Amino acid sequence: MNPKLMIWSSVALSAVAQIFLKHGLTKFQARRRSGSSNLVAIASGILRQGFIWMWGMCFVAALALWLVGLRKLDLSYAYPLVSLGYVLVSVLSAVFFHERVDRHRWIAVAVISLGVGLIAGS
Amino acid sequence: MATNLEPKLIGAVPQLSSPDCDTGLYYRLLGSWWIAFLASALFVVSGHLLLKAGLNNIAAATLATGQSSSTLAGILQPQLLGGLLIYSLGTVCWMRAVSLKEISFLYPLSSMNYVLVAAASAVLFHEVISARRAAGIVIIVVGMALMNRQSSGGSSR
Repeated sequence: MNPKLMIWSSVALSAVAQIFLKHGLTKFQARRRSGSSNLVAIASGILRQGFIWMWGMCFVAALALWLVGLRKLDLSYAYPLVSLGYVLVSVLSAVFFHERVDRHRWIAVAVISLGVGLIAGS
Repeated sequence: MATNLEPKLIGAVPQLSSPDCDTGLYYRLLGSWWIAFLASALFVVSGHLLLKAGLNNIAAATLATGQSSSTLAGILQPQLLGGLLIYSLGTVCWMRAVSLKEISFLYPLSSMNYVLVAAASAVLFHEVISARRAAGIVIIVVGMALMNRQSSGGSSR
């Protein structure tokens, strides 16, 4: 696998992981009995969520892809690509959670994408 | 490997802990947002640099010995382990900063990490930053500053 593709996949997987984490935590909060504030109960409740495990797996895969891909690439190339995460999370939140993304944010998303596009060809 | 992603997510994590552990060392050390923020920037940037230094060492060792080092040997590189540890500390500090200060204020500040990492990569690893790459980084910083202007999406505290 091409190192650049690994870095891009790592960034994309991180964004997907955030969506899984958000969904898992939301489901956990919805099911949580009121008043159970001890840490063990919270931790075991979180660990019972399948989406939390999906988050964990995506996170580990993203980290592994990052490390293997970065061996052959400049850090000054790879690191700014992390900002693509903001773009992807904004789009995915709008699509899957029907979150309202205001106009300012879409403009920011477009500007960040332009920056990422420039880095991609550098 | 994105650090500071979704505001609501990261803002939500400290809420899970009960308020009565507010007297812990963690809270005393990171009592104000700017200490937590500066610590997060320092740890995130140096964590990424250490990771890259570790990877460069592996690449150099592979070149010298002619055989590619095993994955296990790679993971056991002290710089890689240290980088991961420091980077996770940075994430913890970031969560703390977000719990103390509006994310709309912290996001644009945190985009300075991109500038710092690129500058340090040029100095430490002799990476060549082309005009195009520099322009990309500047545009990303501008985009992040725009991102949270009047953002109605973030968790307000």
